[in-house]
Formats: sequence, structure tokens, C-alpha cells
Amino acid sequence: MARLLLLLWSLGPMLWQLYSSLRPSEALSGVDAGGWTLEHYRQLLQGDPPFLTYLINSVVVGGSSTALTLALAVPCAYALSRLGRRQARSLTALVAAAAAFPAVLLFLALLELARDWHLANQLMALSLPYAGLCLPLAILLLQAAFADIPMELEEAALIEGMGLWQRLRWILLPLMAPAIASSALLVFLFSWNEYPIALTWLSRTELLTLAPAMARIAGSSVYTIPYGAFAAATVLGSAPLILLMLLFQRQIISGLTQGAIKG
Amino acid sequence: MSGSISDDDGFKGLELRQLSRRVDNHTLVDQLSLTVAAGEILAVLGPSGCGKSSTLRLIAGLDPVSSGDIRLGGRSITALPPAERQVAMVFQSYALFPHLSVERNLSLGLELRGVDKAEIKRELDQVLTLMQLEGLRQRKPAELSGGQRQRVALARALIRRPALFLLDEPMSNLDAQLRDNLRAELRTLLRSTGVPVVYVTHDQHEAMGLADRIAVLREGRLQQLGSAETLYRDPANRFVARFLGSPSINLIERGATQLGLRPELLELADAGSAVPAGWEALEGQLSHSEWLGDRVITHVQCPGQATLKVLSREAPASETLQVRWRKSQALHFDARSGERLPGSSDPHTV
Amino acid sequence: MRWRLWLLMAPALALLLAVFAAPLLHYLWLSTQAQTVLTGLRPQPIGAQQWLRLWNDGRFWQDTWQTLRFSAASVSLEMLLGLVVALLLNQPLRGRALLRTISLLPWALPTTVMALGWRWIFNDPYGPINRLLAWLGLGAIPFLSNPAITWMAAVGADTWKTTPFVALLLLAGLQTIPADLYEAAALEGATPWQALQRITLPLLTPYVLIALLFRLAQALGVFDLIQVLTGGGPAGSTESLALYAYLNAMRFLDFGYSATLLLGSFAILLLLCSTAALAWRWSSRLQGELR
Repeated sequence: MARLLLLLWSLGPMLWQLYSSLRPSEALSGVDAGGWTLEHYRQLLQGDPPFLTYLINSVVVGGSSTALTLALAVPCAYALSRLGRRQARSLTALVAAAAAFPAVLLFLALLELARDWHLANQLMALSLPYAGLCLPLAILLLQAAFADIPMELEEAALIEGMGLWQRLRWILLPLMAPAIASSALLVFLFSWNEYPIALTWLSRTELLTLAPAMARIAGSSVYTIPYGAFAAATVLGSAPLILLMLLFQRQIISGLTQGAIKG
Repeated sequence: MSGSISDDDGFKGLELRQLSRRVDNHTLVDQLSLTVAAGEILAVLGPSGCGKSSTLRLIAGLDPVSSGDIRLGGRSITALPPAERQVAMVFQSYALFPHLSVERNLSLGLELRGVDKAEIKRELDQVLTLMQLEGLRQRKPAELSGGQRQRVALARALIRRPALFLLDEPMSNLDAQLRDNLRAELRTLLRSTGVPVVYVTHDQHEAMGLADRIAVLREGRLQQLGSAETLYRDPANRFVARFLGSPSINLIERGATQLGLRPELLELADAGSAVPAGWEALEGQLSHSEWLGDRVITHVQCPGQATLKVLSREAPASETLQVRWRKSQALHFDARSGERLPGSSDPHTV
Repeated sequence: MRWRLWLLMAPALALLLAVFAAPLLHYLWLSTQAQTVLTGLRPQPIGAQQWLRLWNDGRFWQDTWQTLRFSAASVSLEMLLGLVVALLLNQPLRGRALLRTISLLPWALPTTVMALGWRWIFNDPYGPINRLLAWLGLGAIPFLSNPAITWMAAVGADTWKTTPFVALLLLAGLQTIPADLYEAAALEGATPWQALQRITLPLLTPYVLIALLFRLAQALGVFDLIQVLTGGGPAGSTESLALYAYLNAMRFLDFGYSATLLLGSFAILLLLCSTAALAWRWSSRLQGELR
């Protein structure tokens, strides 16, 4: 019973969107019209720019942010886990505070940064602030995972004559694979969903990522509110994420769980 | 202590000179000097926290030395990183790489050092055969038993052809039965390497059964270095006397002196028996006895003394007993400092 | 060896400083400048005037109140529901893994996407809730057009999206509680309710604190949801501090004041979070002494 309620609570709103997206516009505004239609999806996909563009943009930003974040977070987390306890503790506390910081408060300064360095309207450049904002969480997660690897394993590798890079490449990173996967997913999720910075950095329509594109669709028409198109956009915008969640449910849940326990 | 060869740079073994490690205000290893000849097995013995593992880590280069020198094959290796010391180390946890097969665990180090493929294969075959691991080549560490893991760890150390072999309690994760069986095997194997071997353990049986010589450590300081027999019969102080031997040595208070009496050198008689010349005796009540099969440990509560343990073949016949010993076999210790006092001769000479 | 560790951390730390520390310092400077259309969008020093303006700005205080109201309501709802969901998800049920994933879905969706969805659900009269009410012969609820109701609609949408996150954090905490504690309690005849009170809740408190602080900070910075769901309306009744700061920069092109507002929000956030943390520490110490 409680389970059913939870399912309904979680899925209900999404199912309503799915239902709405498949109904003709008249039916949505009270007129008694039957039948189903793919018209809303056709409109979106053939729009200018086609909805797919936003999805691709989000994938590009998500991919580059994830790569950049990991490239910075892995060495940092490694060093943090090997640093003396006293220094590591205060650094970790700062990083944890940054992880909770609401990113929206930074938008103005980051906007000026984009203007000064001519980074606005460049998709890949978004990965700079995104990586910065995701670093705290990624570092905390990876640091916990590094700390879980027994020191003796690395010492054994050290005695075997492996340098730092070799130890990372052959011993530590393979053992970190699950933690790296879950951090990557969380970073991807963040950049897929991020709104205020994308909103202020990107102004050219064909460069918009999903989140600001959705908001633009919402604000596009003052008089007729195209709820069918809204719903279709909601469905299309959620589908990749739902797929990702279902595919990698274990990594996401264990990643978050680990982070919470260690953090 | 063993004869110093400190100025002989041709010395093929390992030499520690005044080695110290301090962390904050804590001294983990204190002015430790000793030598281990090539082909010799030295056991470093002591209770946990005595600095034995710290010493091993210093030799391996895993921790920085505070002062002193480590020399191997006649040259100082104190400043070298672990990779360049040509040491092999078997960890207490074995530290096998869990994501790699047995074969890769052994070969990865060689591969990364650029040893050629054919050579690696040859070495691999040889070591795997020696360690009876051929059938397990493709297994992951998680799929091995404790004894097999230990063999893989040893094999990984052997395949490097190290100039020095370090072992950190390699048997402590095995059950007692297996440990007893492996001791002789391990001894032969370690001997055959022809390099100095340092074997850290807290288990006196292991140290006595395996090592040529034993170094007893306490609070980072060397207490005594010598053969198992020397340490047992002629301990330098009360700590060494108590640490070796089971059941442990009996201590009897004698004012400023303590007498150390090995349980097997005590004899039981009926209370009130005449004490022979040259002997000494205490009388007391039978507390309980432990039957070991071939021997019996009899606990006798003597008034004003701790319970004395007597190791004998026969169980005592009565409840009130006389415990006696040859005066010449008692060890004398300073009650305060625990140092061995002169005047007690070798307890085993009659 | 030590310097090599710092070298490894340097790039990440540099980016962290650039993204977190530099902006706050920049705001500190910008809040003493006038940078508007009137100054040709060039900064001109004006001392503490922006701060005086903030102090006398009724809209700032109204938004502060509205943001606090939103945060208090949604965070407490989320903690409560999150605990219930976590307890439910910790039961040994069939299909638990899938249920966990499904219940986490709302959290994974972009806020703008789901805000748009909720706008349609709250639609008057065609949203599903109002349709249901009409079908039952009841009057429609003006979710998005009545200042007394709209903020609650926003709380509802936020709770829907964020409860799963809280639940997951608490679930992580629940999983650290050893099962034998419950067995021992059951042997002593404790009811499930007593076990919850005596074992679960006390052992869960660190996780509750983490979730609380994290959610409080995020809720005080609420922006995406409000902007897309209500645009701050009706009549500014749902406008949050972050939205006000955003409007100042992007619509009124008043950058100096926007920076002042952002710092003001940050100060409020810092004050509340540190108060919560200190109160927590104080109360747990008090409890420790009582015991």
C-alpha cells in the first residue's frame, strides 16, 4: 500500500505529462476531443531550432564538464586522502561547505568572467564553471573511495617500483572504477540540469542547453499557452535522464550513499 | 650483541646503524643497530607497538628515517626511494592487487620496469612452479584461500629477485594448524634466496622456529639480539625472559631482586619434604592444573607470591605442594629496572 | 613528497577558488560601486550607499521573508517525508532496487523541466487537480494566481522534487545502523515505535543534520523553480532573494545592487546554517551532559 502511494507520488506527475503530450491541444483546453496525437512531438522536433539541438548541446556540455571535473578531482582527491589528517580535515570541511553552496549566488560574477574572457556563447566553456561547481561533491566522493583502498596496496606497488602515475593507472584507478562512475554520473546530472549559469552564459538559441531551452519555451508565448508542447518537451527532456538512471541505478545510489556516509 | 662489521663496506648483508624514527614527540624506533648477513633470517620480535613494523617500513623506505643509516650490500640506501632499494616485502594483509589475476599480480612490476616478455614468462613459470601455484594462474585474489594468498604474496616477492627480503607478520592471517605446517617450508624457501631476510612477528614460536637469530624490541629499543637458545637461557632482562617461553617464566619477589624460574625447571614434591642441598623451595596450595597431553601445567598458589606454574610430566598427587628448584638455575633480575643481575649462572647447567 | 601532493591538488583548488572565493570577493567590491545604465554600465565608487539602499528596500525584506517561509516549509516537509520514504525503502521488499530508482527520478530531472510540468499540473482550470475537483463538483483552486496559495504550490513542487534526495541520504544513514541493535531491542520487548524513537532516530541524527544543512542552503538559494513556475508572481508574492538579485542584474541592469543583494542573501544563508549547526552542537552537548 505504502509502496503504491510512493510510486504514484513519484510517477504520477510524469505520467500526466506523458498523457498530455499525446493528447490533441483542444482536449487539453477542455474541449471534448478524443483520440491521440503525436503533433506536439512533431512540432518540437521540427521547430527552429529542432528540440534535438538542445539535447545534443546538453550532452556536449555534460560530457566535457564530466571529463574536466574528473581530470581535476581525481588527483585532488588522491592527494587529499594521502595528506596528513589535520590538514585534510580542514580542507575537507571547506570543500563540503562549497558542495552545499547554492550555485545561483555565483551567477553574476561568473557572468562577468564570461564577458571578460569571451567565454559567453561557447558551449564547451560552460564546463569551466560547471567543473568548478561539481568539484566539491566529486572530490568528497572520490576521497572517500581513495581512503577505502588499503594503504598497503599502494605501498606494495611502491616497492614494486611503480611511480605515482603507474600506481594510479594500474592499481588505484581500476579499484576506483565504481566511485569514478558514480561521480561521473552525478556531474553529468548536474550539468544536464543546471539553469542559472547556462541562462546567463548562453544567449544564442541554437546553443541553449536543455534547462534554459525549457524555460524559454515556457516564456515563449504570452497569450496561448502551448501546454501540449510543454508536456512533450518535458517528456523529451526527461527521457534521456530516466534512461540513464535506470541503466546506472546502482552507481548513482551507491555513489550518493557512500558520499553521505563518509562526508 | 653481534660483532660489528660497521666499517666493512664489503659486507653483503643488511646493516642498521643507530636507526631512529620519531613522529612528533614520539620515538617509534630508537637508535637501533643490527646486522643481518646474506642468507640469514633475522626475526624481529616484540609485542604490538614495539616498533618492529616501523623498523621494517624504514628498511623498505616507506617511512622517512629521522636519523641513522641503513646499508645494504655495503652501501647506504637510506636516501633511496623504495623502488630503488631492491627490497621485496610481504605484507601482513599480503596486499595482493585485488583486480589482477595471480599471474598479473606477479608480472605487473616486471612489465612496468620493461623486462622483456619472454623473460617474464620464464620467471613466471619458474616461480609459479616453485610455489605450486600453476593451477591458479588466472584466479583473482578473492578466489584464493588464505594459504594460497600467502604463497602468491611470497611469489610476488621472489620473482623480483630482491637483494633483501622483508616479511611483516606473514602468517598472522593463517590458522594455527597451517602456520605450524608452513614454518619449515618457509624457512627453507627464505634460506634459498641467499639474501638477508628480516621477519617481523609477535609470535615467539614463529621467531624461534624460523629464524637464525632473534632481535627483541620494546618501545623502539633493542633489548637483546641472539639465537633463540641464547635469548631463552640467557635473557638480558626480565622483558626478554617473560616474552619468550610458554608457559611464561615465574617471577618470585626477593626484596630488591626478582628470581626468574622457568616452569620446566621447577619440581613438585609433597609439602613438608626435605629440601636437598643447593635447592630452594616454596610451599603452597594446588590451584588447578592444565593437562596438555604429554605435560601438565600445575598452578600452585604460594602465600605472598604470585601463582607459580610448574611444567611436569605427572599431575600432582596432593593438594598441598612443595615447589623447588636448583638455586643455580634461577635467573636474578633487579626488581625495579628489570635488568639481569650478575650472580645467576646459566640456569641449565647443573 | 608533501609538495607533490599539493601540486596534485593545485589545479582543482585553483578552480575552486576562482569559482567560489573570487566571486564573493568581487561582490564585496562591486557592492560599493554603482554600475547601472546611468553610469554607462561602468563601475563608479559610491561607498556604502548600496548597503543603505538594501537596508531600506522593502522588496528585499519582503523577499527575505518569502524565501525564509519557502525554505522553512519545504525543508521541514522534505525532512519528514524523506524520513518516511527512507524507512519504507529500507524495508526488505521485493523490487526494492527498482523502487529506489523510481522514487529517485523526480530528483534527477532538471528543475526547469519539472517546474514546467507542475505549471501545467497546477493549471486552472485544465490541470489534473482542478479537473478532479471539478469532477467532484468542487470549486477550482487558483494555484498560480492567488498570493496566499501560490507559495504553497511552489513548496509542493519543491518537496516533490527534493524529498527523494533527502530520503536517499537518510537511507544511507539507516544502512549504517547494525541490525543486531533491533534484534536486541526486540528481545527486550520494545515495540517498533520504541525502536524508532530509541535506536533509529538518535543514530540517524548526523545524517539528518547533513541533509538539513544541505537542503537549507539550497532552499535559501531557490531560483530555477520560482522563475519557471511562477516568475515570482503573482504580485511578487513568491519572489525569492536569488530571483530578485537576478532581475536586478539581467532586467534592471543594476549590477552593483545585484551584487549587494547576492551578498545579503549569502549573509542570511551563512547566519542560518551556522545557527542551525551551533544549535545542534549545543543541544547534543546538553543531551550528553544530561545523560
